Amino acid sequence: MIEIENLTVRFGGVTSLDGVTVTLESKLCGLIGPNGAGKTTFFNVLSGFVSPASGTITAFGTDLLKLAHYKRARWGLRRTFQTEQAIEGLSIFDNVAIVWENTNRGRSSRERDVLGAIEFVGLGVDPKSRVGTLGAHERRLVEMARAVVGSPRVVLLDEPAAGLPEEETKHLGSLIRRIPDETGALVILADHDMDLVSACCTTTMVLDFGQVVTVGPTAEVLRDERVVSAYLGATESA
Amino acid sequence: MPSWQDFEPFIVTGIAAGAVYAVSGVGMVVLYRTTGVLNLAFGAIGALGALICWSLINTVHAPDWLSYLVCIAVGGLVTLLYGMVIGPALAARDPLVKATATIGLALILLGAMSWIWSNNANARSLTLTSDTWTFRLGSVLVNWTQIIALIFAVVVAVGTGIFLRKTKLGTVMRALANDREISATLGVPVRRVEAAAWLGSGLISGVAGLILADQVALDATTLTFLVISALAATVIGRLRSLTLTFFGGIVIGLVDALGNPITSIAPYKDMTPFILAVAALLFLSRRGGAAARARRVA
Amino acid sequence: MADPGTTLQGRLASVLPRPHLDRHERGHVVAAVAVLVVSLLVLPSVLSLYWVDSLIQVAVYSVVALGLGLLVGRVGMFSLGQVAILAIGSWTAARLDYATTLPFPVILLIAGGVAGVFGVLVGLPALRLSGLDLALITLMLAGAVTIVLQNTNFPNGGHGFTGYTSSPFGNPPIRRPSIASTDPAYLRYAVIVALLMFLLVLWHLRSKPGRAWATIRQSEAAAMASGVNITLYKIWAFALASFITGVIGAVLAASATQLYITPFQTANSIELMAVVLMGGVFTVWGALIAALLLELLPSIFDIWNLSPFLLLILFGVGVIQVLSTAPTGIAGQLPKDLARLGRAIASLAARAGGGRNAAGPTPAGGPGPAIAVPEQDPVGTAP
Repeated sequence: MIEIENLTVRFGGVTSLDGVTVTLESKLCGLIGPNGAGKTTFFNVLSGFVSPASGTITAFGTDLLKLAHYKRARWGLRRTFQTEQAIEGLSIFDNVAIVWENTNRGRSSRERDVLGAIEFVGLGVDPKSRVGTLGAHERRLVEMARAVVGSPRVVLLDEPAAGLPEEETKHLGSLIRRIPDETGALVILADHDMDLVSACCTTTMVLDFGQVVTVGPTAEVLRDERVVSAYLGATESA
Repeated sequence: MPSWQDFEPFIVTGIAAGAVYAVSGVGMVVLYRTTGVLNLAFGAIGALGALICWSLINTVHAPDWLSYLVCIAVGGLVTLLYGMVIGPALAARDPLVKATATIGLALILLGAMSWIWSNNANARSLTLTSDTWTFRLGSVLVNWTQIIALIFAVVVAVGTGIFLRKTKLGTVMRALANDREISATLGVPVRRVEAAAWLGSGLISGVAGLILADQVALDATTLTFLVISALAATVIGRLRSLTLTFFGGIVIGLVDALGNPITSIAPYKDMTPFILAVAALLFLSRRGGAAARARRVA
Repeated sequence: MADPGTTLQGRLASVLPRPHLDRHERGHVVAAVAVLVVSLLVLPSVLSLYWVDSLIQVAVYSVVALGLGLLVGRVGMFSLGQVAILAIGSWTAARLDYATTLPFPVILLIAGGVAGVFGVLVGLPALRLSGLDLALITLMLAGAVTIVLQNTNFPNGGHGFTGYTSSPFGNPPIRRPSIASTDPAYLRYAVIVALLMFLLVLWHLRSKPGRAWATIRQSEAAAMASGVNITLYKIWAFALASFITGVIGAVLAASATQLYITPFQTANSIELMAVVLMGGVFTVWGALIAALLLELLPSIFDIWNLSPFLLLILFGVGVIQVLSTAPTGIAGQLPKDLARLGRAIASLAARAGGGRNAAGPTPAGGPGPAIAVPEQDPVGTAP
């Protein structure tokens, strides 16, 4: 469970997040909102790339804001990026291993966990191949493997399906749905693809102009008038 | 601790030396602000001009004023040539890459100069006619070369500042430095504007070459690597402010000269530019670390 | 996590045993062993003292280039101060050589340690900076160090803190290890020390720090999200690069009978950067190529009666060429060129054989996975 209390982020004159207060209990939460609503800023505060002007974030009883950004990963925070950031010069195995070896707290075997994560996301490629040689979909899967390896507690997925055709999006969806059960992590999925969000997430929160418009069961939220009007004029997802 | 009289002559020489740093520094910042290129070959190009000037005067016996003009023209031409031939290939790259490429140019020029003007480097010197016009300031003998250097530095700093801010071409140059791609799509004649910037900076390097060759030494290696000390001035100006760069140069020259009478630190006074530059970089640099860079990605 | 079962075993077998090298890596190991055998067993006995001295310098500067290549290619930090670090290592070693009777290997380590500390001190302010600012601050610091050294001079057996005496007569040479007092023997010693430094770096590259550096280089955001402590690893890179440079500085010190400021000028830092870029910052072989360019080529030019200034022109052209068209440098470009040559020959042979398709496997070219070549800007500033 994540409790966010009065989170405010300002960049110069722009208030990117304005007093966001929300409690996320569902294991698979969606995060939607038009471009510029503050979704990525929200993730950035959670990841530690941005410091809030005020507010608190308590996840599973831990005050996240007290941890340095790289220590949050060790705590169990994982995230993917809008433009995928898999490391091209390294092999698939090494890409996932980095996360494991910088966040591992237990005694489990590195090879076992890493290969397990690669297997989990369904990457059928030789783990020793360099990520630089892979295609877009496979790179997204590498990022996903990095997000689920080890013992993640909170997984932030930032538009993981952006730029992917329908079939790969469906595969990603089924993958995302399995994460909470198999890792015990709480997943927050930010995306414009409403089909993906409604297929995966039980609860969804909506941001617009840095404020929470509503939060609740996904089906209801997607029908909510305020949400529809917030999206009026927004471009369709890829 | 030495007395005021001991310091007095060094104040003048300090400002004169500082003017030289200021000219080079301002010349480099001008180009950086318009093309994003920190031209580390600035000194080498000036040296080439000065050596050609020397050859014209001493082997062909050309008139002084003509040789000076040739030096300045050479500065402009070589810089322009580099800017038009190599510049575009690297235009979209990081400033660091562009600056490193100019290191390549500096090495090429240094090699060529050392090879062509090879023997008895010590025997060569350039004495500008303005050296002979002197006057007294207090107890110090000042020559007009030093005055010209100072005036030139001021004119370039102020003039470029006004040019960049007030004229149409200047504004366009600033836009270009900001974003070359967008400027191009907006119809800015990118190559022509860049050419103007390169040429302008090159002419400045020609003048700086003359002054430095006269004031310091007419030696290819010395003049080429003198740019490192001038860089200190540009660093103090944060590669942005012409005013700060100018004053940075003057201060470097002053502090360096004033160190002379203080015998305990005199041997180390050449460290002045570097220490000031490091201090400037550390205290004036405000950009955050990794987190700020990460934000630009996420 | 669900246990994938039998397929996991298969995967484990293919990934786990580190000593099992694939085709590429094996090629590199063979080449490295060949170089070592030749330089340890053949060259010292065969070559004249002139060339032996040259090769000692090659061994020294290959490690310096390795350090710089590590900083530039792996972490994306353009440090123009490595020659100053080398000077510090040499100075420390010379001082200890004269003033103490410590065994030479201990002096090597101390010199490395002192240089490492300096490297970290330089690294700390540099952490806030990147790109051009970083290059400039390292250049400025190098300039400052050079001036200090110009004034304190290098130890030559004198007394006092600086161990320098201005009297030009009767100064003993810098001490060498007793097992390697002759030049050919010292060449072997230098090669072995260089080898150890290379192995140290390779070990780093293939394990956790190497992976962290690769991540930092491409994306600091991804590094932070992976739990990598960027500050720590950047400092570690500075420390490692400076340590090996300091150690080899000690080797450099004893290779000369006396040290002067000449090879440690700031201008040499610039030349070093040029050859390191030309050699290739992404591979370990690039360091060796850089050293050959810097220390062997001048001797060759000398023999052929070519002006050493032509070398500067060559380096200048090389830098521009590398930056604009071949970011992987000679080490990266050469295998690709050779591969292309091989394919061209193969297709010619096939056509000569009459109408068959151009057969033959196309070698992928390029260095092996542990020192993989990123296809991107050699300047590793984060996007």
